[in-house]
Amino acid sequence: MHPFDIRAALLAKHAQHVVLIHFPIALFIIAVLFDFLAQWKRQRLPAAAAYYNLLVAAIATIPVVVTGILAWQWELEGQKLKGILLTHLVMGCASTVLIWVVWFIHRRSRRNQEEILPGYRLPIEAVAVVIVALTGHLGGFLSGVNGPG
Amino acid sequence: MRRSVSIAGLAAALVLGALGFGTGQKSHVASAQEKMSMMEVKIDNFTFGPATLTVPLGTTVTWINKDDIPHTVVSTDDSKTLKSKVLDTDEKFSFTFSKAGTYPYFCSIHPKMIGKVIVQ
Repeated sequence: MHPFDIRAALLAKHAQHVVLIHFPIALFIIAVLFDFLAQWKRQRLPAAAAYYNLLVAAIATIPVVVTGILAWQWELEGQKLKGILLTHLVMGCASTVLIWVVWFIHRRSRRNQEEILPGYRLPIEAVAVVIVALTGHLGGFLSGVNGPG
Repeated sequence: MRRSVSIAGLAAALVLGALGFGTGQKSHVASAQEKMSMMEVKIDNFTFGPATLTVPLGTTVTWINKDDIPHTVVSTDDSKTLKSKVLDTDEKFSFTFSKAGTYPYFCSIHPKMIGKVIVQ
């Protein structure tokens, strides 16, 4: 396949999920880092950066979930999943929910014009980062990044 | 009398021996035919091995997943002659080829994994 073969790249039934998944993972992890930094340094700027990164991360989960489900329906014809595939699906859904929950906590505080974000968000964010990382690890394992060529 | 008994005994032994030999030969031929009509493709380290398999008509090919990752065996062309479920580690998929031709296939989870069965 030619690297600039746009048609093949866009029409590959499952390829988009593998590409798009990098956006919410990166945005969410950096958002959490900014949020921890904002908490530690008591600064508004990293807090704002955390909020907008979270917002884009949450939006980016939508095409990821859609392409993941399409890959399952098209490539595997909606077969009943088990093993690593099922774990990846369940953890992917959990990651998506957690990203949206974290964003919602931030949004609610901003709307209520609260000066301090609730402290309980930090353990939720930490757990979410671990789950997102594990989901990504399983996805990488499934996509064969460790395989030949 | 004693002579006729011993002749009968010898004849019986010969008949039994011949029968045994015949059965042995038959089972030998059967197992050879079985070997001819059963072929295996191992899926390991993201590859089908052998990637190209040439078999006579009527052969049953079995794919066995020896990888830690799930794989599938699906026809590359639109015919979808081959279409396995997701094969976890040590799971198998078999297909009997009753028509001559070339059957290209791939793993739908890892499209870089390709293979081919040539039926003659």
